[in-house]
Amino acid sequence: MRAVIFAIIFLFLTSPFSLSSVISDIDKSDIELSTRFDGTSILVFGALSPEIDSTSLLVEVVGPSASVNIRKKVQIWGIWVNKKIAHFQDIPSFYQISISNPEHPILKEIEYKKLKSLFYDFLEINSTPEDGNAVEQYYDELTRLKKNLGKLSTFEEEVNIIDKKLFSYKVNLPKKIQPGLYKIKMTLIDQQGNELSKSEQSVKVSKVGVQEFLSYNSKNNPIFYGLFSVIIALFLGFSAAQLFRWLYR
Amino acid sequence: MQIFLPIADVPVDLFVLLILGAAVGFLSGVFGIGGGFLMTPLLILLGIPAAVAVATEANQIAASSFSGVLAHLKRRAVDFKMGNILVVGGLLGSAVGVEVFRIIKSYGQIELFVSLCYILFLGSIGTLMFLESLSTIQQSRKSANTFKHKKKHNWIHGLPFKTKFKSSNLYISAIPPVIIGFIIGILASIMGVGGGFILIPAMIYILGMPTKVVIGTSLYQIMFITAFTTFMHATQNKTVDLLLALILIVGGVLGAQLGARVTVKLKAEEIRILLAIIVLLVCLKLALDLMITPSDLFSITYGNE
Repeated sequence: MRAVIFAIIFLFLTSPFSLSSVISDIDKSDIELSTRFDGTSILVFGALSPEIDSTSLLVEVVGPSASVNIRKKVQIWGIWVNKKIAHFQDIPSFYQISISNPEHPILKEIEYKKLKSLFYDFLEINSTPEDGNAVEQYYDELTRLKKNLGKLSTFEEEVNIIDKKLFSYKVNLPKKIQPGLYKIKMTLIDQQGNELSKSEQSVKVSKVGVQEFLSYNSKNNPIFYGLFSVIIALFLGFSAAQLFRWLYR
Repeated sequence: MQIFLPIADVPVDLFVLLILGAAVGFLSGVFGIGGGFLMTPLLILLGIPAAVAVATEANQIAASSFSGVLAHLKRRAVDFKMGNILVVGGLLGSAVGVEVFRIIKSYGQIELFVSLCYILFLGSIGTLMFLESLSTIQQSRKSANTFKHKKKHNWIHGLPFKTKFKSSNLYISAIPPVIIGFIIGILASIMGVGGGFILIPAMIYILGMPTKVVIGTSLYQIMFITAFTTFMHATQNKTVDLLLALILIVGGVLGAQLGARVTVKLKAEEIRILLAIIVLLVCLKLALDLMITPSDLFSITYGNE
């Protein structure tokens, strides 16, 4: 790990850089979701050109896409019933954005622009909005609910800058994450938000073992899966009967 | 120890599940009930999605009823002809039930539907059980129980398609068993229960079967229906969590064996009241969850429903 960092610094120092630039690496490129998976973290690190004074580093983590329904509980005959009010088609199941300089002048604008292009633009409304602010309300609810689930974070995590040249960043993944490709994007921006240099890494998250076998076959071979479930159950029932007959003989 | 369930898509504590399986298994050993009507709502209260709880519980009951059938086969206490007719009705009921389940699920209302079914169901069973045991306790104080089952010549005997059931020593129409089987099939597929507590009284009081073959025959039907229901849910709804089923089967087998062999110090009526109270508490919890104003009105679901 330390060797990797030194190698990066060496590469960086010997390369003829003239502009702002960023290079990066990650400590793991594969994450296995086993039955025992309980969340994990990814360490991202790298080097920057020395012009950090006027530039900031943005780090984004974008998970695989999934469609999301927003439901609202309404009371019908004294019972709270879920009603689907909005649908977001194919939005990132996980998204995190952080910046090295939390005092950046246009932080709010960057945040809104990113959320709009990744989330808000994919809204499909189901029920007729009750008032004019309904659309904004759907955005707010999506953001709030995703944040509560640990699937969205905007400028809450810290990007560590060491000696203006090196950076490190820790991505904490919750225990319930969708398998697929997680992209980690590093972007150097100036005070106006213009992109100066980019670097991208990706982490493959996949189910393994029992987890993979069951969820794959349940989805793709439902007939096999159904028969398999029944046979296993009957076999266990039979074994239990035999075992206890033998035990109490 | 925390494990992640692949189909339910939730993390749960393995020991909590094993203890739950064993506790419900113990109760079924003591009372001779299947336990599905307790297990499914408890799984829902643990945070397992209702659709997965129902389908997976059907899978567990397939295991426990097969285990039970084997014991009754040894004693020749299964009326195969009656069992097979019940199975025919049951398969139809299960197919209809799974389709209804799929439609309601596609509207995103399966949690509500399953909850309402259970509130109705547990509420009435719990109340009946509670009242019955109360009156039994009062009766037993006065005199010995003189209840005796009489064979009646009722409307069942006026129906066509009569056939002979040798093991049950009956000559009745095949229509009532098909209808009873059908209802059990529906219950199994939308609630994840074996349905023994309806099937057994129906066999005794409606069909007039002798008690010695009732339990074996009911287990025989329940095994086929829950196995078929598991298969249908797996193919139509993709909601069978085999890992969850395995844990519940292991816990349930151990608990049931313990329950069947332990000598309970309490009187039968007193345990029945205890069971009635458990049933009513679960029912109350489900009802409150539907009626109390939720702390968060909004929620997220995934996928295209």
